[in-house]
Amino acid sequence: MNKRNGWSVLADIITVILSLIWVAPLFFALLISIRPTSDPLGTGNIFFGRTITLENYQRALELAPWQWHYLTSILVVVGVLVVQLITITMAGYAFARMKFWGRNALLFILLIQLMIPSGVLVVQNLNIMRQINLFDTRWALMMPYWGSVFGVLLMRQTFREIPPELEEAARIDGANLFQILRFVYIPLSIPTYVAFALVSVSARWNEFLWPAMVTRTAESRPVTTGLSQLFSATEAGTNYGQLMAGTILVVAPLVVLFIFFQRRFIESFASSGLK
Amino acid sequence: MEQVSTSINTASTVQSRRIKHPTWRHLIPYLLIAPTLIFVGLFTIYPTIRTFEQSLYQPGMNVRNERGQRVQQPDTFVGLQNYADLFIPQTPPHPIVGGFLQILSNTIVFAVASVGITLPLSFGMALLMNRAIRGRALWRFSLFYPVLLPLIGGASMWAFLYGNSGGLINTVLRSLNIPTQDWLNTPDLVLWSVIVVNIWKQAGFYMIFYLAGLQSIPKDIYEAAALDGASYFQQLFTITIPLLRRTTLFLLVIASTYAFQTVEQLDVLNKGMPANRANLLLWYIYQMYPSSQARGYVNAISMVLVVILFTFTFINFAFFERRSADE
Amino acid sequence: MQKLVSRFGLLLVLIGVLCVAPFTQAQSRVQIDFYWASAVEGNLPAIFQGYADQFMAENPNIQINVVYSGSYTQTRETIRAEGFDPVVDVAIMLATDLSTFITDSPIVMLNPFVDAAGGEVFLADFFPAFIANGLDAEGNVWSIPFQRSTPILYYNADLLRENNLDVPKNNEELIAVAQALTTPERAGLLLPIAGTFPIWIYQSFAAAYGRPLVDSGLDTVYFDTPESLAAIEFMTRVGLPIEEGGFGVGPRGGSAWGETPTAFVSGKAAMIYHTTGSLTSILQNVANSENPFEVGVAFLPSGPAGEDGTGYGAPTGGGNLYIFDNESTPKTEAELEAAWQWVMFLSSPEIQSDWGAKTGYIAARYSAWEIEPLASLVVEYPQYAVARDQLEFAVKEFDAYRSVDIQNIINLQLSKIISGEVPLDQAADALAEAQAQIDQLLAPFKGN
Repeated sequence: MNKRNGWSVLADIITVILSLIWVAPLFFALLISIRPTSDPLGTGNIFFGRTITLENYQRALELAPWQWHYLTSILVVVGVLVVQLITITMAGYAFARMKFWGRNALLFILLIQLMIPSGVLVVQNLNIMRQINLFDTRWALMMPYWGSVFGVLLMRQTFREIPPELEEAARIDGANLFQILRFVYIPLSIPTYVAFALVSVSARWNEFLWPAMVTRTAESRPVTTGLSQLFSATEAGTNYGQLMAGTILVVAPLVVLFIFFQRRFIESFASSGLK
Repeated sequence: MEQVSTSINTASTVQSRRIKHPTWRHLIPYLLIAPTLIFVGLFTIYPTIRTFEQSLYQPGMNVRNERGQRVQQPDTFVGLQNYADLFIPQTPPHPIVGGFLQILSNTIVFAVASVGITLPLSFGMALLMNRAIRGRALWRFSLFYPVLLPLIGGASMWAFLYGNSGGLINTVLRSLNIPTQDWLNTPDLVLWSVIVVNIWKQAGFYMIFYLAGLQSIPKDIYEAAALDGASYFQQLFTITIPLLRRTTLFLLVIASTYAFQTVEQLDVLNKGMPANRANLLLWYIYQMYPSSQARGYVNAISMVLVVILFTFTFINFAFFERRSADE
Repeated sequence: MQKLVSRFGLLLVLIGVLCVAPFTQAQSRVQIDFYWASAVEGNLPAIFQGYADQFMAENPNIQINVVYSGSYTQTRETIRAEGFDPVVDVAIMLATDLSTFITDSPIVMLNPFVDAAGGEVFLADFFPAFIANGLDAEGNVWSIPFQRSTPILYYNADLLRENNLDVPKNNEELIAVAQALTTPERAGLLLPIAGTFPIWIYQSFAAAYGRPLVDSGLDTVYFDTPESLAAIEFMTRVGLPIEEGGFGVGPRGGSAWGETPTAFVSGKAAMIYHTTGSLTSILQNVANSENPFEVGVAFLPSGPAGEDGTGYGAPTGGGNLYIFDNESTPKTEAELEAAWQWVMFLSSPEIQSDWGAKTGYIAARYSAWEIEPLASLVVEYPQYAVARDQLEFAVKEFDAYRSVDIQNIINLQLSKIISGEVPLDQAADALAEAQAQIDQLLAPFKGN
């Protein structure tokens, strides 16, 4: 496979074409976001219209209290992730390495979470949040995600692949459960944690439906609700420039984060239990 | 691990403690699971039970009396009537859930097509990315980035591409003198337009899993096969695909549950119209949800979705677990 | 390890503090939680906060908490999800949500307040077409108009002039002009009826053909009528090519709502039906565009002359102000009075005039048009006056008991016919089927 034969050139060409198709929506979103509203596609230069402007960004920023939205999103993403890391480590270990009565039954009960679209439960969950007086708080955005069955399965899979002899050795050395997790299982599973973190962070950052229902004040609302504020201003026609500017404001932090840590993320996936 | 010197002592203590306090040790696994179980119980299982319960009722009508005060009539227990209304066609169609069967079939087409196209495509992408190619990180990023976008943001990019008069695709087609299509407003096309967005959004995610799988296959297997004169494609079908079977099964579960659950994109892609041809179950629920009289149906349809996903996951998981036990 | 634990702990505490921190406020004044939903552009959060500040300066004992609550739909769902103990006190919601709120939320009947404010005299300053959606069949007042709109005809005046065409006054002229202006690159007429929400534009045709979809009651809907069928056929034929029996002036299946003004601004459509809410942005975007042209605005062309002999007709649209009570902790007199004060303030001629000029919504009161800034805006842009004058022929927007379900039925059936899923020769059956479904839903409300 080392020689650059015909197949390999063809594969290169397909790679480039596929990537271009995949990038096209983002590329044109960027272009549209710097075109003035009065200058829709088809006028002026095919790419840059007659003039470029940041007015769409300026207006998108004006239309929502972004400073609160960003703060909330960051707090929620971190608050969910930190608790999830603890709960999935504990449950993942129990399911991977401990024998106890009802293990399969409990695992199956937990699996229900994977089968039920969370969108279906928002109404009932909203009632719960009102009953426990957490309506319109950031806690309401975090709590439903503190138990992650996807994460538990992931850690269970990862922990299972760690040789049990390592745990035995530590146990003989007198390590307690906490120390075993801390010095044996967790260090050997860092890639899986990183991979899980990426999935968890992007899911929470991009969530829209639940926050829109369970919060109402700007202070407790995340970035996606700011985006929806732009989306709902469509009675007078869709202003794509402004929408794209808003979309880019929302996705930029994640994309930048990913670009910086791309190698790390991909390696993590490659060596994680995610396979 | 500074306890090395006392290891023997500790080991024996553990031994004796286990005999003295069997109950405490037995509790540990439950304590470890408890937090997850509590959160899943409170925010998934309890609401699901409530959903099922309410799917057996028809909500009472609210009316105002002549003084403008609200009078609430109680809910009536109707057994499985709500489910019967969903599945048994009537003439004229049921006023609230008459479209259910069509939307159920849309949803199944959507899920099967999304998964059936995305997974092979992701596998192909992984093969392409697993080669030595200049600028690999860049190509990989360009295939992966849609995963990081909020669904509604990604879909709005596509809404712009799909636009009939001002959209990019039609602008390009027009300049090439190819007849244009109204991608989001032609009954026979619209569901496929939505499927394309879903594929674009997810393919990169599954690609990463396949990439991870490919990199875990030892190189010497291929070298041995190459020595035996196996071509690239023979190696692909006899080594790579069989060895990635577990990855594929895992992705089948993830991708199919995802496909049944994604609807936010419809909010910007013509909301399931025209003629309900792109409407999906979850979106149908959101459409109906504002009607206080449809509460029973909303819950019944939710339960139908739960049952579909349950079956899917159960089959896949049983199969997946059995296989991993075998290996 | 200790370090790790304490770091985690610190992080949790930090998050906890930050989560709770923003929710402290002085409770001594009467608190009014005000939700607003709007569907137009502009720096609306700042405008509303400005109104609230002005109001609080005049009423120091009342605190207005301004909350952007999402789109109209999100806001309605938020409020309905709160059941009979809503958090909200005053909200701007669709005028057509009245029937939903009458049954599902504790909105407050406004008769006593209206009477105290002057009763008929007070209401007479509002355009009757806007008041209509705030009333139930018995004439009780439930909501006060705030941001209202109506569809109008926009035309490219330069194009009409170059081709020596007059502004169309009725449907025949509309098609003749549209056909004269249709080219391969340009649609003669775009109707924003693709997909999502055909019911609004449909209502203008139904009214023009002489049988509006609803009258003053909330328990009757007239969908399966000869007038309705004629209206739907007309709308559909706008998007059909001539060889299929259409007029050949627009895209099959109509045009998407948001795309329609963009197409008009960029010269891809000679005429469009759209809301008055777009007027401001269309005027601005055309002025800044590559090929500016004169934007003409006219009444929607008339259908066959109806009862009033004109054949004009258009529904109204937009949002009204509602006051919400709370059933488990009913509001005190003082709280209700404070809420009403705020409603009065927002619907006052001064604010209506300012709001209309800033957003393009039609100021809901006659007197608002006589004061600044609206008075001079109309002089500069006579287009704004057209929308106001058409209100004389406007009809109540669709609302009925079970309105969500009925709207779903009507929108679906319209979409089927317009998109060609149901051929025109079977449209009559489709309407009869929809009417049967609607009547089934409304049966329990008859004779209430």
